[in-house]
Amino acid sequence: MKMLMKGTEAIAEAAIRAGCRLYFGYPITPQSELTEYMAKRMPEVNGVFLQSESEVATVNMLYGAACTGKRVMTSTSSPGFSLMQEGISYMAGAELPAVFINVMRGGPGLGDIQPSQSDYFQATKGGGHGDYRMIVLAPHTLQEAANIMGEAFDLAFKYRMLVTILVDGMIGQMMEPVELPEWKNIEEFKEPDWALTGAKDRKPRKVTSFDLDPYELEKMNLRYQATYKKVTENEVRYEEFKIADADIIVVAYGTMARIVKTVVDSARKEGIKVGLFRPITLWPFPYERLSEIAGNVKHILTVEMSYGQMLEDVKLGVNGKTDVEFYGRSAGVVPTPMEVLEAIKKIAR
Amino acid sequence: MDSRVFIYVGMFGSGKTELSINTAITLRKSSSKVALIDIDIISPYFRSRDEKLFLENMNIKVITAPERYMHADLPIIPPEVGGYISNKEFLTVIDAGGNEDGAIVLGSLNHFLENVDKKILFVINVFRPFSSTEEEIVRNIDKISRAARSKIDYLVNNSNIGPETTTDDIKTGEEIVLKVSKMTGIPAVFTSIDENIDYKGKLPIFRMKRFMKNSW
Repeated sequence: MKMLMKGTEAIAEAAIRAGCRLYFGYPITPQSELTEYMAKRMPEVNGVFLQSESEVATVNMLYGAACTGKRVMTSTSSPGFSLMQEGISYMAGAELPAVFINVMRGGPGLGDIQPSQSDYFQATKGGGHGDYRMIVLAPHTLQEAANIMGEAFDLAFKYRMLVTILVDGMIGQMMEPVELPEWKNIEEFKEPDWALTGAKDRKPRKVTSFDLDPYELEKMNLRYQATYKKVTENEVRYEEFKIADADIIVVAYGTMARIVKTVVDSARKEGIKVGLFRPITLWPFPYERLSEIAGNVKHILTVEMSYGQMLEDVKLGVNGKTDVEFYGRSAGVVPTPMEVLEAIKKIAR
Repeated sequence: MDSRVFIYVGMFGSGKTELSINTAITLRKSSSKVALIDIDIISPYFRSRDEKLFLENMNIKVITAPERYMHADLPIIPPEVGGYISNKEFLTVIDAGGNEDGAIVLGSLNHFLENVDKKILFVINVFRPFSSTEEEIVRNIDKISRAARSKIDYLVNNSNIGPETTTDDIKTGEEIVLKVSKMTGIPAVFTSIDENIDYKGKLPIFRMKRFMKNSW
């Protein structure tokens, strides 16, 4: 049965169904309903909901909880995600699986509470210190956001990596029909061989991002890099929408991609052959596929709710094979379909 | 349903804002003085105030946070609210925020509301989280009624799953709402449906135009 849900609610319920029973968080608009949903729902499923005193405390609670090998998550919005960066770096170094939800709002600084995509760099290039990566998933509908939660946890555990679901306030706040995913049986989850569960009758285990010996620390780093390589080889995801005969390909993700789908249809009615290339994994970014299709089109247009962040990855992918144009608005202003259509027409002329 | 002040309460996302806007527009057809009071301090997006210009062009007075705080998530209740509740010349619709946290604002306006000819309507969408069973809904009514410091006069069936709503869904909602009505003794007053759907059930129908949507 479908439910009428807000994005924040759909993500929260899908996370619980994916086996998450440990949630730590601190309210911040436009994602507070996610925290509130967890506060109501976790006691009903024998889970733990804990509201911390700040996002700094949240990420450290998550760090501790993740060491037990259970499915743990938090959610926040841009300024809160900034506060979590130190802990994220620590957790990445300790090779811990956890899921972060960042419902982005206008920035920088205190910014505003309207939707934005301005945390792309922070999520994909590493907002914290050190040579680390996290997998970044960018759903563009509420249904996709609900479906992707199970996958987010599976990827986190498969690679012992952090996964961020990067959405904007629009996906967080809008309401849509959602078919909730099936329940996973948490009894069937295997305890990872690194989990800290009490060392009685076995050798103690160690989860840390620390080694005083640079050669030992380098070994750890090389292990992380080997993992990241595997992820870039195996876990790239994207969607192609009407690109087969396209002269112009628009690259967009999340809410922006959603808007572009409408624009693709209206541009085609006016005889302009447009398609959409939508990265679903922002890291690893689909460079290779973008490079392949760039050779077949006249123009590429990147559209963002930020000022040219994903644009840098698009240019790396296209690698000079064709023109790369840009249209973006930020600070909580969502481009209208008309504006994007105008940007396309300007290029088509 | 005769009254001078119509107040919509209910769980978060149950459809209070759509109902408030549509009620104000309907009242405007028979009365020249209609006010819509937006005291939703819960939702950061998709609020009555987003349609302020449209409604004011129809000569409906919209009372909400001052212009420069329109996009803030601050609990602002402008002083005119009390005035428009008391002003006997106006038919007034109040859009309260969701859950007991939203209804608590009504409680704080109790000294204005207690001597006014008013009806409090509890909006139900059985396809929303925490609202799918009779037991949950009865609990919600109780919580919201306490926070609002007032009894609920009517139940409204606004059961829908957005653009994918079928007549069967509306019927499912109507059956649950009627059961809740029996359990609580609160009469169910109407079923609200999208203007593009044809439905006939046990309750009177209120056809609504949908405002809270994106252009894409």
